[in-house]
Amino acid sequence: MRPCPPQWATRLLHWFCAPHLVNDLEGDLLELFTQRVHTYGVPEARRRYVRDVLSLIRPFALKKQPEKYPQPAFIQPAMIRNYLKIAFRNLAKHKMFSLINVMGLSAGMTACFLIALYVHFELTYDAFNQKAERIYRVAADVKTSSETLHYSISPWAMAINMQNEFPEVEAFARVQKEAALLRKGDLKFNEENTVLADSTLFTVFDFKLLKGNPKTALAAPLSLVLTETAARKYFGDSDPMGQTLLFGSNSEPAQVTGVMQDPPVNSQIKGDIFVSMSTYTSHQDKNIEREWGSFGAVAFVLLKPGTDPAAMQSKFPAFVQRHAGKKMAEQQMGIALVLEPLLDIYLHSTREAEESGSIDNVYIFSAVAIFIMLIACINFVNLTTARSVERAREVGVRKAVGAAKSALARQFIAESMLICVIAFLVSVLISAALIPGFNALADKAISEGILYELPFVGIQLAAALLTGLLAGIYPAFVLSSFEPVKVLKGRFTTSLKGIMLRKGLVTVQFAISITMIIATIVVYTQLDFMRNYDLGFSKEQTVVIEAGNGRHRDAFEASIQDYAGVKSAAASAAVPGGWNPQAYSKLENKSGEMQAGNMDVYRVDFDFMQQYGLKVVAGRAFSKQLSTDSIQSLMINEAAAKMLGYRSPEEAIGRKFDQWGRQGTIIGVVRDFHFKSLQENIKPLTFRVIDFWNGGLLSVKIDGTHVKQTLSAIENQWKTMHPDRPFSYYFLDEFYDRQYRADERFEALFLNFAALAIFISCLGLLGLASYSTVQRTKEIGVRKVMGASAASIVGLLSKDFLQLVGLAFLIAAPVAWFAMHRWLEGFAYQTDIRLWIFIAAALLSAFVALATISFQSIRAALMNPVKSLRSE
Amino acid sequence: MKGTYLGEFEEVVLLAVAILAGDAYGASITNEIEQQMGRSVNLGAVHAALHRLEEKGLLSSRLGGATAERGGRSKRFFTVTMPGSKALDNIREIRNRMWSAIPRPI
Repeated sequence: MRPCPPQWATRLLHWFCAPHLVNDLEGDLLELFTQRVHTYGVPEARRRYVRDVLSLIRPFALKKQPEKYPQPAFIQPAMIRNYLKIAFRNLAKHKMFSLINVMGLSAGMTACFLIALYVHFELTYDAFNQKAERIYRVAADVKTSSETLHYSISPWAMAINMQNEFPEVEAFARVQKEAALLRKGDLKFNEENTVLADSTLFTVFDFKLLKGNPKTALAAPLSLVLTETAARKYFGDSDPMGQTLLFGSNSEPAQVTGVMQDPPVNSQIKGDIFVSMSTYTSHQDKNIEREWGSFGAVAFVLLKPGTDPAAMQSKFPAFVQRHAGKKMAEQQMGIALVLEPLLDIYLHSTREAEESGSIDNVYIFSAVAIFIMLIACINFVNLTTARSVERAREVGVRKAVGAAKSALARQFIAESMLICVIAFLVSVLISAALIPGFNALADKAISEGILYELPFVGIQLAAALLTGLLAGIYPAFVLSSFEPVKVLKGRFTTSLKGIMLRKGLVTVQFAISITMIIATIVVYTQLDFMRNYDLGFSKEQTVVIEAGNGRHRDAFEASIQDYAGVKSAAASAAVPGGWNPQAYSKLENKSGEMQAGNMDVYRVDFDFMQQYGLKVVAGRAFSKQLSTDSIQSLMINEAAAKMLGYRSPEEAIGRKFDQWGRQGTIIGVVRDFHFKSLQENIKPLTFRVIDFWNGGLLSVKIDGTHVKQTLSAIENQWKTMHPDRPFSYYFLDEFYDRQYRADERFEALFLNFAALAIFISCLGLLGLASYSTVQRTKEIGVRKVMGASAASIVGLLSKDFLQLVGLAFLIAAPVAWFAMHRWLEGFAYQTDIRLWIFIAAALLSAFVALATISFQSIRAALMNPVKSLRSE
Repeated sequence: MKGTYLGEFEEVVLLAVAILAGDAYGASITNEIEQQMGRSVNLGAVHAALHRLEEKGLLSSRLGGATAERGGRSKRFFTVTMPGSKALDNIREIRNRMWSAIPRPI
């Protein structure tokens, strides 16, 4: 067979080369190829062939032969110049319209841009880990006779056994967040973001270790890996490697074995200081890794490539039974292990987490972004078609001198794209300015600035052009289909269909805006409801001090009792709104059996009930006088009494209990109070007297008039008594309300976007109103001459638009009601959606619309009719 | 009208067309130059030069005979026009004058 030149090169030649040249060029190429095959061989000939083809990509070969009868080119520079000139003239001539268009579009684009950043941030949480697809969290479901608890932590003994018995496991890394005391000379900090982590942390996750060996940095007990920030805090610019810090309340010397980059903001595992897990498991509590009944640490497992997690999970029940079967039978509980993909945890898991996103919020805000963009596009379409009358003549003239319909359509689409590009530039500037504020609003470091988001800017530009195209298609179609004869004769009027469409679109805009207004009000009332709800305990004027345990705390408590500003004080291991442990407990129920289950525990001192204003509805409170109270007595809340089957709280008094090594009787029932947020129902709760080694929180009720002086007096006292430990405290009401921070953020974001939506809608309304008043200038003049009052004219002009707003309300109200009803179902204690919310939303939107229109209508109504009627 | 200044490569191409006298077309010119100068040239460069020379009026072209070797595609034959040969003479004259102006033989 004869050797062939590369086909693709020939095809390339035919593609780029002018038709009148291609024949003899290909001839030359083929001839040279055949000769070269003889002289140099096939491969070299083929190489030269390709090189020759590529060398032919030159202007002379690309240029087409001029045809005998010139055809108008698809793109003619002169016409494009003309289009651009006309476009800019139009923008400059109608400054108001241009401004409204550009403002509306750029506001919409900015909102979309910010929301896109937010959504991207949420969706890529933890995705920086290259092995993220293979990382799973091993979570535990604990089933007791009364309920099933979904923990994100797992039994301490699980990790090691799973690693030994499952070949699928490549590596295991457990992390546990704690607050730890760290000291270096005079520097002492209560590091709230200390993380105990296994040595495999750097194998499983992609944290970057700047100094130190990633394999061994966290291996030995009392090893510390500092983040860059923490390293700077303790060691400044000097090298921290090998240095010693005093760790924990026992001030044990711990060595710095590594420095790591600060974890990314969108990482589940965050901390300032990482401490080797062995510090705990083989130093502080040596038997803990044999415990199946003791839960702690979040365990992440890296599976080998190709492992089916479902198949692995199906082996878990047998695995747990083998190791913990006896324990589970003893305690009447069941442990089930669950694998959760790392990437799903942040958005989808309902288990307890320090930070969690909500996939619902991602959906909600995506929808909001789309709606806002839709509103902005509607403005654009409305304004452009409304102004079509003015440009009808231009279209007529262009058609008369030979413009094709397609050329006109292109012109108008290009114009709308031009406006979008201008809006895009404006929106990039606004976004750049708003990013810091947006970060603060969302309380997340979503973006470090516009310069880090260039891919997003690129996408936004593409989206802007697409918007221009989509928004321009309808006006272009309408404008380019005018019939020149009719238009130039001057018999042109806007069609009824066009008016109907515009009205429909305005209605849609306002329906969206009103829905968002109603939603914002409902969110606000729900938050207000939660903040003002009677929680069943008093949280005002209470300072909670982390005072440590035992005698030190008692001494400190006694020393501040006499201060003028201090009303009372009580110690406990937990305060409402904070974390409290759960204990495996057996309580006697109505039928006389010992009912087992995990119950929330509050360990409190004798003053706690009074301090918090908790009402004892049956029996009595703990008493200092009775020595048995601290070891043989238990108090429960009403929910617990109900759970045990007692119809009245009195029935529970004197029943037996067995919990955490104490046996005795239930001595009192406390009225239910909300020790967790109002998103949850009140759960059964038990109270027991603190042991001397726990109860590190001291709640101090202080006088409202001299808060500052009292606090500083307490602080001074602390400093003299505990010079080696930091004074840390918080106000209980703020602490409790912190649980609603996520909801408050949601509210703030929603409020802003709702305001934006109504702003853009109003811009559109303003444009349309001003347009229609201009159209009716003569009519208004005639009416005034005939004796119409200014008020009646304003009414006349406003009526049409108010009707639309009314219609929009009728559409929006049920939609908003339905959506917000769904949203409220997420709260255990919810406010009602009352009628006044709808009335307020209706009045607000009507008022805003009226105010917008009145800019134009009042001016029109006050105009001297002579001016409008003198021409013609 | 473009200037009649000749670049070095254009001069070489023009000379090649003159040498091939009546049998000058893209492939043959390329071969001729490669043989004369002992280096490989791109067909694209040659054609670009031919195109420019034709635009300057130093060459003229006509379409002619196809061969099987070329897959039956016609050749574009180039011939040197009067202004072309004048331009060559002119260059040669200038060169000779300059050579003779060198004070002593190198």
